Amino acid sequence: MTVSLEELVLGQAQELRRGTVVLACLVLLEEPWYGYALLETLNKAGIPVDGNTLYPLLRRLEKQGLLTSEWNTDESRPRKFYRVSPDGSRARDALVREWQDLVTSISQLLKENR
Amino acid sequence: MSTSTLTERYVHEVVRRIPADQRDDVANELRATIADAIDARNPTDPGAAEREVLIEMGDPIRLAARYADRPLALIGPDLYPTYIRLLTLLLSTVLPLVTAAAMVVNVFENNNVGSAIGVGVDTVLNVGAQMIAWLTVIFALIDRTRYRESAAGGTPAWTPDDLPELPEARKPAFTICASAVWYTLLIGLILWQHFARPYRANGESITILNPDLWLNWIWPILAGLVTLVVLDLLRTVTRTWTFTMAIWYAAANAFFALPLAWILQEQMLFNPDFLNAIADGRPSDAVYTIAALGVLVVSAVEMVRRFREVRR
Repeated sequence: MTVSLEELVLGQAQELRRGTVVLACLVLLEEPWYGYALLETLNKAGIPVDGNTLYPLLRRLEKQGLLTSEWNTDESRPRKFYRVSPDGSRARDALVREWQDLVTSISQLLKENR
Repeated sequence: MSTSTLTERYVHEVVRRIPADQRDDVANELRATIADAIDARNPTDPGAAEREVLIEMGDPIRLAARYADRPLALIGPDLYPTYIRLLTLLLSTVLPLVTAAAMVVNVFENNNVGSAIGVGVDTVLNVGAQMIAWLTVIFALIDRTRYRESAAGGTPAWTPDDLPELPEARKPAFTICASAVWYTLLIGLILWQHFARPYRANGESITILNPDLWLNWIWPILAGLVTLVVLDLLRTVTRTWTFTMAIWYAAANAFFALPLAWILQEQMLFNPDFLNAIADGRPSDAVYTIAALGVLVVSAVEMVRRFREVRR
């Protein structure tokens, strides 16, 4: 049983994308969002993520002090809203720099090897 | 807010697996997000939409593990190498020692090969199962309780000294020759004591082994030994060891070992005249039984070893 090339690429692409969900969340959550709306926004923005990954991730980031949360009970359906904490902002800036460094490195490599 | 039973059952399955202080909060958030997702499907059939959403959320055990930040493996990758090394050590070294000790003790109590073999099998199965079970339980507990910070420091770091020797380095042609020489020597000794009658008792030359053996039991033993020598020589010359050769080896070893163990157990090995002459040095019952067991164990180990060598 061999893995087809498409599956192989899909798996590797998933590996590449794994860390980007956290970065995208930290960027988006400058404004408060609740779970399902954030999921929809991420998916529309081209950062596909499953609910069963995103919701536990949000809580973990909150536990790590990168996000804060608040229950909004104004509407008929109470929802938990998340947004970045001051620590979260600093973490986001550092991760954005890291991301840009990576993009620079990869494009440099591509330029030299094409 | 409509709380249908399917969603409630799902939420319950998730939150009962996470720490108590987070349960209500996670449950409320899950209910809201699942309801949001159902609404977003704009269903004509809300029941089907609910099923689809729950299928997308996936196995509640997996989701709960993500919420609790708990590993979905019994023994995680940090501990796995140590676990495997310890398990191998226990099963390959400690278990045989414990089994041998139990069998020797049993021989001194009952002086019976059958009972000792029974105890041996029993010990291997029971103590082996206990070792596997307890080691696994202990490692699973360590994996769940230790602090994440000390994860790397908790297990001894691997060093190149932990590497086992290469299989080839352990068995040069010399050892195969040595086993052929040993079997040849054994054949020689059996024939020599029979024809030279080396022991003198009351002015008469007598054999050391029981002459009655030449009526029956000595023949399978000699045939087995000769076959073993031939196989080892073939192996040294051709430098091959096939599955068929291993089967022949096992058969020859059985021909040699089973009758030998039997005549040891029945105390028929030695010439009665010889035993009378050396009355003081007469071996005790337990010595016969242990010797019989020893022959069986060594043969079994040899057979297993030869079959394992085929794979390389």
